[in-house]
Amino acid sequence: MDGGTLLHGLNLIYELATLALTTLGLAVVFGLLGVMNMAHGEFVMLGAYSVVAVQQWGLPTLVAFPLAIVVCSALGWVVERWLIRPLYARPFDTLLATWALAMLMRKVVEAIWGKGFRNVEDALTVAMPIGNTAYPAYRLGLIALAVVLIGALFLWYRRTNTGLRVRAMVGNPTLAQALGIDTRKLASRTFIVGVVLAGVSGVMLAPLIRIEPNIGVDYLLDAFFVLVVGGLGTLAGLAGGVGIIGGAQALVSSMAGQTNGYATVLIISILFLWLRPDGIFSRR
Amino acid sequence: MDRRLLIQSAAAAATLGAWPLARAAGTTKVAVMIPQSGPAGLFGPSAKACAELAAETINARGGLLGQKIELLFGDAGLAPAEASQAVLKLWKGSGATAVIGMHDSAVRGALVGLFKGQVPYFYTPVYEGGECAKGTYVNGETPQQQLQPVIPWIASERKPKKWYMIGNDYIWGRNTNAAAKGYIEKTGAQVVGDEYLPFTVDNFDASLARIRDSGADAVLVSLVGGASVGFNKAFASFGLADKALRLGTLIEENTLAGIGAANAKNLYSSAGYFANVTTPAATAFASAYAKRFGPQAPALNGLAESAYEGFLMMEAIAKKAGSLSAAKLDAACEGASYNGPRGAVTMKARHVEQDVYVADVTDKGFRVVKTFSRVSSGQTCKV
Repeated sequence: MDGGTLLHGLNLIYELATLALTTLGLAVVFGLLGVMNMAHGEFVMLGAYSVVAVQQWGLPTLVAFPLAIVVCSALGWVVERWLIRPLYARPFDTLLATWALAMLMRKVVEAIWGKGFRNVEDALTVAMPIGNTAYPAYRLGLIALAVVLIGALFLWYRRTNTGLRVRAMVGNPTLAQALGIDTRKLASRTFIVGVVLAGVSGVMLAPLIRIEPNIGVDYLLDAFFVLVVGGLGTLAGLAGGVGIIGGAQALVSSMAGQTNGYATVLIISILFLWLRPDGIFSRR
Repeated sequence: MDRRLLIQSAAAAATLGAWPLARAAGTTKVAVMIPQSGPAGLFGPSAKACAELAAETINARGGLLGQKIELLFGDAGLAPAEASQAVLKLWKGSGATAVIGMHDSAVRGALVGLFKGQVPYFYTPVYEGGECAKGTYVNGETPQQQLQPVIPWIASERKPKKWYMIGNDYIWGRNTNAAAKGYIEKTGAQVVGDEYLPFTVDNFDASLARIRDSGADAVLVSLVGGASVGFNKAFASFGLADKALRLGTLIEENTLAGIGAANAKNLYSSAGYFANVTTPAATAFASAYAKRFGPQAPALNGLAESAYEGFLMMEAIAKKAGSLSAAKLDAACEGASYNGPRGAVTMKARHVEQDVYVADVTDKGFRVVKTFSRVSSGQTCKV
């Protein structure tokens, strides 16, 4: 394989990995709980700012992971208890409420760190030679971590007791409750898992992206497109959505420019909403 | 509309119309249009501080033709139509006699159309050139100003053979790169590619692969704000910073903070002002700013500082004209000059001749490595 092909291949894998990473959290919250969390991107943003905070305090960058997990789960618990729970089965109201939450989170971060750009340093962002080309080591690590995270989530959902209960709750909440499953607690935990995944992906992306209070919307939109195409509640759907959206964007962008790449993503999303509203694998 | 409502609105309109007459003698109101919201909103606080410092400095030396300046702020971070409404309130409603604007070109277009030369309008940020409207005075750097002396200097210092140009897909990005193309070819180097990206792009992998394949040893970065941050970070992470130098004409202090010094190896920025310029005038300005606003002051940068320059230009033209009337200012504008933080500035063809600084980046931020004095704006407006 020559250097050019390898580079393009790695770029494609990287794009798919970051897309999967930032979509996972929304897939859990939207796919399993039916809550369209408009503040999803803001949890990614909080993750990125955890790295900013940790570096400001002079602590090792890895401390950002526990920090983001603690901050996001605490905030996730509060939000689920007092914002989402009263609004289950009222999708439009949830959408408005979480959009307001997103604005609040942006303003709080702005009040602490200001509107300006932030940068976090990471020694691993340098390029390392692979074959005939060079690729940033950090990106390779990120791809590996994304695979591990998706695998872990799949095992949690498919193999653990909690996963089984979640599936019961998603399939038939009333029956699940009748069987003695505490669906309230379970929903709360599922929501927390979703927002923590978003926060962790923010920590992982921080050295590679621009950091400012308004970055959340970018991640929300991309994640939403993936779920529109892939449908809700299945891992195969998530993979399919990531493949189609990320693949189309990367391929069309490299051949016909970024404007056409983004236009293609929008057209695909509209077509899916119109023709296959339940996503690529729906049997309806 | 019923009768009562009609009477009420007539009364309200009358009060609003009478307002300018009620203003205290001895003060003159100046509207300052700066982005207080939107993507450029991050420049709001520093621009506001610079405007306040400018007004206080001019007031302390006797005011504008003996009149104390009173500032009225309007949000220029909105859509052009809304920004026009905001400035209309300050002009017709509150009685502003001049307008200082530090905002994008879309808003400038709307404001020029609204004023039609009736209000002196000082437009201050870096921009693409070409504004020749009556009553409009431009302090900002033009592409010609930032590139015409700088590209030959880089050619002699670093001897790049192949330039790649990238920009955001709008008038400033395209005009800047178009101007650069001529200067690059004059140095004997070749332009091996140019491309324009929408503002929404945050993945630059495809462009970086093209830059690598082109074998470019210099890249002109005409991306703005977040796009510039994302591009420059990715550029460095692919190890391209050692292979090719970068030159930007809108990489100011905030953008550099987002890029990070570690990712800014072989990066040059060309501008009329950097917070680190060490001329006596610039140092005096920076220390006055620090003294006035304290340690929590919004960081100085070229865009915010341009608002300060706008006030100095207003003062210089008003002194020369001996009046604040729009017609007299316009007659006196050609050749008006002052010495400010940027150095000696002279108005020619509604634009300014000013010093241009080239900076590279150390771990302490920008370091000015070359100064070109009194560079022409390259504009040819008839006055």
